Amino acid sequence: MASDPSTSTGLRGVGWRAADALRYRRQALARRLPSFPGVPYLFLAPFFVLFAVFLAFPIAYTVYLSFFEFQGVGEGALLWIDFGPVFVQLPRMADLRFVGLANYARLLEDAQFHNALSNTVFILAVQVPLMIGVALGLALALNASFVRAKGLFRTAIALPVSANLVAYATVFLLLLQEHGLVNYLLTGVGLPAVPWLSSPFWSRLSIVGAVTWRWTGYNMIILLAGLQTVPEQLYEAAEIDGANRWEKFRYVTLPQLRPVLLFVLVTSTIGTFRLFSEPLIIDEGGAPTEATRTVVVYIYRMAFKQFELGYASAMTVVLVAIVSVLSIVQLKAGGEDDA
Amino acid sequence: MREDDRREGVWRFLTYTVLLAAVVVTLVPLYWIVVAATLPERAFLAAGSDPRLLPGGHFLENLRALQARENVDFLGSIRNSVFVAVTYTLLSLVLCSMGGFAFAKYEFRFKEPIFYAILATLILPIQLLVIPLFLLVSRIGLTNSFWAIILPWAANPLGIFLMRQNMRSIPDALLESARIDGATEFQLYYRIALPTMKSSLAALAIVLFLFQWNLFLFPLVILDTGKYTIPVAINQLVGAQRVYYDQIMVAAALSIVPIFLLFLFLQKQFVSGILAGSIKE
Repeated sequence: MASDPSTSTGLRGVGWRAADALRYRRQALARRLPSFPGVPYLFLAPFFVLFAVFLAFPIAYTVYLSFFEFQGVGEGALLWIDFGPVFVQLPRMADLRFVGLANYARLLEDAQFHNALSNTVFILAVQVPLMIGVALGLALALNASFVRAKGLFRTAIALPVSANLVAYATVFLLLLQEHGLVNYLLTGVGLPAVPWLSSPFWSRLSIVGAVTWRWTGYNMIILLAGLQTVPEQLYEAAEIDGANRWEKFRYVTLPQLRPVLLFVLVTSTIGTFRLFSEPLIIDEGGAPTEATRTVVVYIYRMAFKQFELGYASAMTVVLVAIVSVLSIVQLKAGGEDDA
Repeated sequence: MREDDRREGVWRFLTYTVLLAAVVVTLVPLYWIVVAATLPERAFLAAGSDPRLLPGGHFLENLRALQARENVDFLGSIRNSVFVAVTYTLLSLVLCSMGGFAFAKYEFRFKEPIFYAILATLILPIQLLVIPLFLLVSRIGLTNSFWAIILPWAANPLGIFLMRQNMRSIPDALLESARIDGATEFQLYYRIALPTMKSSLAALAIVLFLFQWNLFLFPLVILDTGKYTIPVAINQLVGAQRVYYDQIMVAAALSIVPIFLLFLFLQKQFVSGILAGSIKE
């Protein structure tokens, strides 16, 4: 603390002018601030406590739980601290029976899980490219210099993101009924009605459509803002080199947009993997469950209808592993061939 | 030259066509919600015949029917949702801005590893933590309490990331001179960092509010009648034995209005708030 003598002894030199001394003192004071080293930890503590209790611990506990069979909410205690007046008791979370890798082994043979996983992958494979493609197209269109009323277009197209998840899923359920508005419009222009909710194939596409409707505008906004950060000189240089529209897109826009595209891709992938409201509601609306049940819906049913929390945890671990690997692969692939 | 002009014209025409088509596709379902909410059920479920496409005068009847429901207090659920979302947003803003301030403006041991550990959880779909959270919440006696859906996501990894990114732009010299003038560290945060971060805080607030407003899975598991938030309340209408579509449409329309208004007014901040996390490296 008092390593700097000038701060502890105050003004020493007789010939110093007061102003100089004051400045010196202030500088010395500034150098040893913040006054004690714990400051950043104090700022971080509230965040970190909640983070540890409600995020880090649950992540670890999911992994732990996946090796057990759940037999009820716990009665006993995990930890006692009893110091006379201070009595802390950490309750045990659940009554569990250790089953080793049995939950994971069961996953390998559970046809319903495989089905849910393949539904999710199908929706992912169709929905994410479709949505990002459309969003990019719209962002490019909206970025064109001649387009008027940009703000209006942008707001209108992005509006669905503010719609309540459950409300919009319900609305799609209605629109896609056998005699709903969509089929009315289709037959109106001479096309055949489509069994949106009753055929396994179409009910999956219905979910793709609903999710795309909701999220395309959101991704468009992000891509649009990304487009606006591309330096104008690059386009001018490309024009001097005689590049046409496609070449400008291919050699200027795409490479410049890569980090933003990557962000959109990773967040969309994560989003699709945790798809829940749409399939749940369209499920209950009578679609063939086998075709639209996603992994998260299956986890939910296993956990909170059957109360097989250990098994559901094992599924969660596997799903998180898949999502993480996929995200990392995407990030790596997107970052590496950067010229 | 002429050829070029014509091409340019075609290009413009195509661009506008694409944009207008997108607007129609996005707005039709929204418009239809509003129309359906004002019609008696048989009018918009129009089996085979022409569906009505203009609003009718049946809104109040539908609303009354919705309110008369025994298993769902819909207006109450709006109140619940507002309370939960506002409380959550404020709490999370405080936690994230304080934490972000620490990461942006101080050096301390294990700073990088801690930050990246927090960041890594962004990859996890947090909805998948429902099982341990359910056990945790039931063991600490928070079942059917609003705190059960406020606290778990209050330490928001995206929030701390955004705050750290933005607070790095506060000049160190500013903080230094305030220290010299005798400000405490907390005053630096409260008097300097927070006011200069107003627009970032607004942006984050919107993101947090929307996130909480739309939470469905965990509230569905944890809340009981009387404490339902909007998504759970609407889901209750769908799951009933006979589906009352007219009431659902009223509920859907009402649930969308507040968030639309918020979105319309604060769209710019919303955009910058999301972007701060995605683009700045």
